[in-house]
Amino acid sequence: MRKPPEHLIRDAKRGKEAAILHLFDEHHLPLFRFAWRLTGSVSDAEDIVQDCFLALLRPDCGFDPARSSIRTYLFGAIRNQSLKRLQRREDSITPEPSYHRTPETEVLRIEAADAVASAVDGLPATQREVLLLAHYEQLSLTEIAEITHLEVVAVKSRLQRARATLRETLAAYAPRMERCK
Amino acid sequence: MNNTELDRLLDNWEAPPPPPSIRSGLQARFPQSERPEFSHRVRWVLATAVASVTLVFGMAQSDWRPLEDPLMGSLTHLYEGLAEGIEAWRAPGIVAQIRRSEPKVYVDGQLAPPLKYGPAATIDVQVPGEGVYSFISFRGRASGWTEAGHIHGKIIEFLAGGRQVRIECNNPIVDSDRPVFVRRRP
Repeated sequence: MRKPPEHLIRDAKRGKEAAILHLFDEHHLPLFRFAWRLTGSVSDAEDIVQDCFLALLRPDCGFDPARSSIRTYLFGAIRNQSLKRLQRREDSITPEPSYHRTPETEVLRIEAADAVASAVDGLPATQREVLLLAHYEQLSLTEIAEITHLEVVAVKSRLQRARATLRETLAAYAPRMERCK
Repeated sequence: MNNTELDRLLDNWEAPPPPPSIRSGLQARFPQSERPEFSHRVRWVLATAVASVTLVFGMAQSDWRPLEDPLMGSLTHLYEGLAEGIEAWRAPGIVAQIRRSEPKVYVDGQLAPPLKYGPAATIDVQVPGEGVYSFISFRGRASGWTEAGHIHGKIIEFLAGGRQVRIECNNPIVDSDRPVFVRRRP
């Protein structure tokens, strides 16, 4: 039988490593992707994800299963940690090169990926995180509202604005991508 | 550009897979043997108290003269073993607390390389010019451990190879002073 996350956290606090690894295995992939897209750094994303899971073991951990699911709680924690890191960088961001698949036939796709990364990075932070959660992690508006501490209406509006901006910024790429289909 | 075209374009920005070290790193950072101190400690204290009371009661009820009885020697050994066991059991919790407390190492007042965490609740400290020394917070059964300092609140201090090692943590490690045992790593 599947154990609820609060039981796994309790077990992990008692020293059962398998319990935290169970939670980690279940949730870390989307969390890593989200952290990577926010920070642009694999090593930062790795640290942030580990920190967030270890934070579950602290006595002051704020996870309350009555108030949120473990998934939205962890996404919220990733968001906060990533924002802290970005602030610490103080605009001296030197993001790691984008992750590319290497075959030459994908040159155009790579170019588009870079353009998308750059366009998303150019969005205001509040629109960017909403877009990442909605498009790339397929979270519902309600979940995003919970993570970002916004009203659902505000989330919806930010998402629409983000998509409108991207549509404009990336307009040049649409016909080229059609050719590469 | 319609919504489908935009979605397709956005999908080109793929995230890399997480590095394999993400899981092993989490495991390495997991406070391995940390256990809730209070409830277990209470259990140990209760068990020891019950055993002691039983022993005293048994002695009072009989004409047994413990000092003349070889059984007393065995009981003393048993008691010492129990006490050692409790100390050894607490040690991983202390190590976990040190790890969490961002320890800074100073040797003769100079900042030294960070601590490395070894097996069996040992911690290694690099003493420049002297090599690597391990320390533990309980008297190990293995030979070679020498009491060389103590843990006091947030500070761990001991002598290693004639050098003064001071480790400053940002949280208290123990409630009351504890000895520190040191030996040079071969």
